[in-house]
Amino acid sequence: MTSASAARGDRFLSLRQAVVADERLSAIQRRVALSELVDGWLARLFAAVPGEESAGFALVAVGGYGRRELLPGSDLDVLLVHGDAGDPAAVANRIFYPVWDAGLALDHAVRTVEQARAVAAEDLKAALSLIDARHVTGNGGVTQRLRAEVLADWRRQAAVRLPKLAAMVRARAEQSGELAHLLEPDLVQAYGGLRDTLALRAVAASWIADRPHLKAVEEAREWLLVVRDALHRTTGRRHDRLLFEDHGIIADRLGLVDPDVLLRRVAEAGRAVAYAADVTWRDVERTLRARRRVGRHVPERRPLADGVVEHDGEAVLARDARPERDAVLPLRAAAAAAQAGLVLAPYTVERLAAECPALPEPWPSSARDALLALLGAGRSALQVWDALDLAGLVTRWIPEWERVRYRATRTPIHRHTVDRHLIETAVVASGFTRRVGRPDLLLLAALFHDLGKGLPGDHSETGEVIAADIGRRLGLSPQDAANLGLLVRHHLLLPEMATRRDPDDPATIAAVVDSVGEADKLELLAALTEADATAAGPLAWSPMRARLVGDLVARVRTVLGGAPPPKPERLEPWQEELARRPGTAVRVDAPTADGTCRVTVAAVDRPDVLATVAGVLTLHRLGVRTATVETVDERVVLVWRVVAAYGAPPAEAVLRDDIVRALDGRTDIPSRLAARASERRGRVIRHAEPSVTVIPEISADATVLEVRAHDEPGLLYRLADAIGGAGVVIRSAVVETLGAEAVDVFYLVDRAGGPLPGEAVAAVVAAAGAALGEPNPERSRVI
Amino acid sequence: MKLVTAVIKPFKLDEVRSALETFGVQGMTVTEASGYGRQKGHTEVYRGAEYTVDLVPKTRLEVVVDDTDVDDVVDVIVKAAQTGKIGDGKVWVSPVDAVVRVRTGEVGVDAL
Repeated sequence: MTSASAARGDRFLSLRQAVVADERLSAIQRRVALSELVDGWLARLFAAVPGEESAGFALVAVGGYGRRELLPGSDLDVLLVHGDAGDPAAVANRIFYPVWDAGLALDHAVRTVEQARAVAAEDLKAALSLIDARHVTGNGGVTQRLRAEVLADWRRQAAVRLPKLAAMVRARAEQSGELAHLLEPDLVQAYGGLRDTLALRAVAASWIADRPHLKAVEEAREWLLVVRDALHRTTGRRHDRLLFEDHGIIADRLGLVDPDVLLRRVAEAGRAVAYAADVTWRDVERTLRARRRVGRHVPERRPLADGVVEHDGEAVLARDARPERDAVLPLRAAAAAAQAGLVLAPYTVERLAAECPALPEPWPSSARDALLALLGAGRSALQVWDALDLAGLVTRWIPEWERVRYRATRTPIHRHTVDRHLIETAVVASGFTRRVGRPDLLLLAALFHDLGKGLPGDHSETGEVIAADIGRRLGLSPQDAANLGLLVRHHLLLPEMATRRDPDDPATIAAVVDSVGEADKLELLAALTEADATAAGPLAWSPMRARLVGDLVARVRTVLGGAPPPKPERLEPWQEELARRPGTAVRVDAPTADGTCRVTVAAVDRPDVLATVAGVLTLHRLGVRTATVETVDERVVLVWRVVAAYGAPPAEAVLRDDIVRALDGRTDIPSRLAARASERRGRVIRHAEPSVTVIPEISADATVLEVRAHDEPGLLYRLADAIGGAGVVIRSAVVETLGAEAVDVFYLVDRAGGPLPGEAVAAVVAAAGAALGEPNPERSRVI
Repeated sequence: MKLVTAVIKPFKLDEVRSALETFGVQGMTVTEASGYGRQKGHTEVYRGAEYTVDLVPKTRLEVVVDDTDVDDVVDVIVKAAQTGKIGDGKVWVSPVDAVVRVRTGEVGVDAL
């Protein structure tokens, strides 16, 4: 071998090629062997520099090379560290030119220890790569000083630098998605990928918080490195994205039975790392927050729901919670956390999974409401759902979920695994809840619409049976369970008909009308279709597809007509008898098995009765699930189904006294409600705008106003007060709360008992909109 | 070689694609498009209010074929895309100077 070829590293390159191609080596053996080969070659190049020139120099491996994790496509991250003496440029040229000549990707720097520290202080990525600095050759004392000072700097500056690292992690997660849920994930950049395992090391090196020493995280990291090694060797390129076209060959190379197993194992690894990262970053935030405070601080515990409190930025169990006796507690805690934009504390999830009994079947309505409130919370539901799923609670509640966990959908329009697509669809659907009269069915259909995947046959047809069955277990009425099944069966109907059938052909419209049947189901199906397609990916809901589906829905809606809003049920004889009693009569029935209880109030009809009674119930921390208002001659009968937020409902006599006092004007409800609101946690998740709609042609002798909004304590009081304040009379009303969604219908008349004139309608719409907080003129309309 | 471009009604894509596959066309490019021809859009009634749709959703399909197949391919597309109603679309043919298959470097008819 000539000296020229030796300098070019011909022998090194042929050895390196042999190591890359050697199928007998495990991934660990290969990356250690590659690192040692490079170490040896660089050491020889360094030794060839005359001793008087290289004295005081050290060659240091940083980044992946520093961790001995060289893969076939990795860059060589090398730092030549020197004192102030000597000629650094000459030494660098002698070492680095042969590496460039060999065609290797060299990421190099030539610095003194002080310069390296200065760069690390400015550049977070440089600092992270220096944390892994490893001596290769030369003056070991220089490398030791570099390591010691860089690590000391990192610890000293941790309070400033870790929040920046956290922001970088968040931005990367936003851009690259989550490893566990993507069909073509980037093994390094995606959240839960290799980059996050390094961020965890950096946190541990700061001594601010330790990373969880979970075997699962170490195994996950090793598995991701193994897959990355196979990916580089398969493609011969340095990219780290696991593309569909490579899944099969990589699965083969790793001895896996099929590509789905590969994706599932990558997803599981991603989930383990992401969970450790979530926990660690929350620890960091807590520790840094505590450091900034002066004096001893005991975090406040604010109540979120029965048995659930907020503690230091997380939802945890209250001291008096009894998980062993409370099957609904996990769902209630999850809903409360998601609605407040919090996460469930890891220990809380563990306890809930270990101690709570199974839910009875059918589910009590409180469990169903909590599930709906969780799904209705929008994006903050994702992390909570993940925690429940990881703890095994989701499959305990919905065993059918197991089949779709991490399941790949091999179509180009999907970007997520099936389970993630389902929860993403529910999240998108939670923004459409104001478009439909039954937001509960929309959210459940979104969550279950693809549960037929993985079974033989058409997944929409098998899914219908599964969804209807789950609906019954969840305690839906037989009709609602059947409608849930129908939505799942037809979840692809609208896009299929819109893109594959002639919209001008009456048979196309007739086919949709036959399948859907009623206008309210069309509303639900249209919202489900948009949520499903939007969650699938941008290809599935292009502007053209949206336009074609919207056009079809408009045509079908014309045929079906509008859906009539509900009317109050007839009063029972005893309620009519209550109405005939003088003064104010109140009856509170014993709570039913589902935890709700009926409150019936009869009083003299006045414009403010509904608002006043709603206010008193709110002050007693009673949540309104349903309410109907009926006027009988000069009297009004209000029938409520309420649920106590904490403990038992108040005694009948207490409630009656409070209602009488309030109706007599002896209670200042607005100021007491305002005081109550200020006690509550400030952050309220509102991701769908409320809507106020006047529905024409439903009633000949009243104006019908429908309000759809996010439910919150005092909502009905504010609405009824605003409507009464606009000078109109609420003749009857039907109020329903479905999970976290309120759908209220008011039948309004003027003082003469007739429908409202135009200007009064505008006034009442404006008043109701204002009562909802931030009225959106686009959403407040007369149709 | 010729480039055959067809603008058709979106719901006709499956039929046209299947007819072209039966004829022996192995690849095509499909894009979502919108536009109007002589029909000048149309008027819709939505919740009682009339509104004019200026641009109608269309699907644009492109196939490069050998000169000898051009007439047959156009014929296949026209037959499959036809409903007989206004807005069925258009097909046009333009000359192609060269074609290269990126993966193999094959050129001309071999690259089709």
